[in-house]
Amino acid sequence: MKLPREGTLRGIATFLATFGVGVATYITIADSGGGAPVCVAGGHGCQTVAESSYSHVLGVNIAVFGIVGYVLLVVCSFLRGDAARMAGFLISLAGFGYSVYLTYLEVFKIEAICQWCVASAVLMTLLFLTNATRMLGYVGREP
Amino acid sequence: MSGRSDREERREERPRAEERTGADERRQRLIKIGSAAVFLAIVAVAVLIVVSDGSGGGDASSVEGAADVNKLLGQIPQKELVLGEPSAKVAVVEFGDLQCPVCKGYSEEVLPPVIESRVRGGEATLEFRNYTIIGPESIPAGAAAVAAGRQGRGWEFVELFYRNQGAEDSGYVTDEFLTAIAEGAGVPDIARWNVDREDKAVVREVEETTAEARNLGFEGTPSFAVEGPGTKGLEPIGTPGSIGALEEAISNAR
Repeated sequence: MKLPREGTLRGIATFLATFGVGVATYITIADSGGGAPVCVAGGHGCQTVAESSYSHVLGVNIAVFGIVGYVLLVVCSFLRGDAARMAGFLISLAGFGYSVYLTYLEVFKIEAICQWCVASAVLMTLLFLTNATRMLGYVGREP
Repeated sequence: MSGRSDREERREERPRAEERTGADERRQRLIKIGSAAVFLAIVAVAVLIVVSDGSGGGDASSVEGAADVNKLLGQIPQKELVLGEPSAKVAVVEFGDLQCPVCKGYSEEVLPPVIESRVRGGEATLEFRNYTIIGPESIPAGAAAVAAGRQGRGWEFVELFYRNQGAEDSGYVTDEFLTAIAEGAGVPDIARWNVDREDKAVVREVEETTAEARNLGFEGTPSFAVEGPGTKGLEPIGTPGSIGALEEAISNAR
């Protein structure tokens, strides 16, 4: 299978991470207003998840950590070279791992699904695949 | 002539080959680092899941009814253990014991329609006050509810406690059980809640509301009282036998 050009992978990563910044920002704004994200598909899943004790770590909404992660991934997608390739891979790996954990919490602990969290988990999974392809395909090679 | 040219080519090729070998080694090294990171991430996620399964002594996954409670109370303002709009004309006070099975029945069958029709619309507030008559375990349970109320999750705690109630004074009201209820109720700061539920002022509040219920002449739980423009202060109405009886008392108090 032919490997996509690195420029293409970087473009995809920029698009996905920018979208991720939007999703995480919306969740943060909805929470800071004392409410919960609105589940576009209906239901109470978003509210149940937002009001659970797992939605905050040390008093900070976990979506704030999401914003930081996505912004760093945007930066990595803009930069060239091995440092950016490795950083993008490691940050998206951490984000993907944390998304797996949060999805586990939603399904088995909170027993509710928030579509905004699912959207973020899907974006982070795609970012991990994109950054892993970039790292495996181009690390150690000319920028 | 040709032999010299080959030698020169080989001499020029050597640094390039060394450079390629160096780049390949670097590439292999970075991929190894990446593989190690993937392994560490898998271990970290597994550890997080295992730790959260047995964390804090409380197991929120064993708590039932969190989604129902959130649906029942969602978007209704609450302060301490008062549910509803502060501007409501009528105040309904429930004197209950979290260990009381009849209170559980009220919580699941009588109160939801009243919350939906009278509290959500802003006509009445509904306050839970502890009347600890079942036994010693009722006091830490009541204090835990008051402490949850300090973080705006008092009603979620009360409702969730009822939905997971055990046999009276059977020893089920442990720190682990209360923590699981608090986590399921969405109490944001469990550490602060743990401090608050031991607070003397909180325990005193439980004792005071129990004394108040006795002064109002109540002998069992749940007992209700209403206050509004149509009443002279907080009027005891006892234990309404039906949803209609409680709604009628609210209408009369308007």
